[in-house]
Amino acid sequence: MNAAPLARRPLGCLKASLRQARQQRAPAFLARQLSTVTPKVPSTGALPEHNFFRMIDKKTKKTRSAFAIYAQPPPVPVTTAAKATAAKATVLPAPPPDPMPLLDAEQIKRMDPTGARTALFTKTRYAARVGDVLQVTHRRGGEPFAGVCLAIRRNGIDTAILLRNHLSKVGVEMWYKIYNRNVAGIEIVKRRAKRARRAKLTYMRQPKHDMGSVADLVFAWKKTRKVIGSRAGAGKGVQAVGKKRK
Amino acid sequence: MLQLKSMLNCIDNSGAAIVECVMVVGQKRHASIGDRIVCVVQKQKGASESGMTASSNATKVKRGDIRHAVVVRTKQKVTRRDGSVVRFDDNACVLINKAGDPIGTRINGIVGQELRTKKWSKILSMAPMQA
Repeated sequence: MNAAPLARRPLGCLKASLRQARQQRAPAFLARQLSTVTPKVPSTGALPEHNFFRMIDKKTKKTRSAFAIYAQPPPVPVTTAAKATAAKATVLPAPPPDPMPLLDAEQIKRMDPTGARTALFTKTRYAARVGDVLQVTHRRGGEPFAGVCLAIRRNGIDTAILLRNHLSKVGVEMWYKIYNRNVAGIEIVKRRAKRARRAKLTYMRQPKHDMGSVADLVFAWKKTRKVIGSRAGAGKGVQAVGKKRK
Repeated sequence: MLQLKSMLNCIDNSGAAIVECVMVVGQKRHASIGDRIVCVVQKQKGASESGMTASSNATKVKRGDIRHAVVVRTKQKVTRRDGSVVRFDDNACVLINKAGDPIGTRINGIVGQELRTKKWSKILSMAPMQA
């Protein structure tokens, strides 16, 4: 019938092909001839002739098929005595626990034996939060990096914080992994007055919202710490949540 | 991620203010901190009154000069070995001559610590800060 125009139907042109399909819509009396339904063949249960999946299973020596329907096991005649044991047998063993949280916990325990790092960033009242000014001390010396915390990426052992500061009038952002051994300490320099209503304060990169340098905040904090330290005794900062002081 | 046509700030006292990258030296990828590029000086410092003529004695380079430079800051994040990441708010470079010595005598502004691993110790020692 319409075999030739069907074959020339343009590909990828939806409108045109729809139009063609509309034109070629068969009248009712032709519908039977056009139908693509193949006559039903009584299924014999045997595998088809092609050998896409006619692989011989090495163990069972039987043909393996991706479409195989596995036979149900034959029902076991249930006696009243055997019922109790059958009920026991049908209870499946509990699935093994998800290994990833366990691995995470183990790694965190190894990298943070005191639990101070975890405590500083768990969601408690005293924990550091987004918007606080934090200072990260590096183990390899150098200037400690202070900045306002724009984001906390909580991801188990991968947990990291994003600090932003201005150093010599250039904005600098640093991601630090909190469980990194090179991070000797993280201290809260100044808490945000009000809780931030965003999880990520990336808007603080815009000049309108930028905090600028936090050097003066760090300076003031150091001064207060010195005063407290001299009063209370050697190196016992009260406000700071430090891990390892030098 | 600096490549052909990228504009960078020049943060030394060679006299250039803004340069345009025309080539990344020695690799086919984009340039990051510590990579050497070839650039064209597009704007001179203190050249606000007029372009070519207003070159004071301090400027060692002029607009249109083709120079080598080392990238010292990028906006693109740079990951370090320990997983920490640094990102600056601008792209900046320091002009050098073909031998690799800086043309200027001072650097005003922070530079990335990656210069240390890339063996730009002269530039690092001139810089006031590194992050």
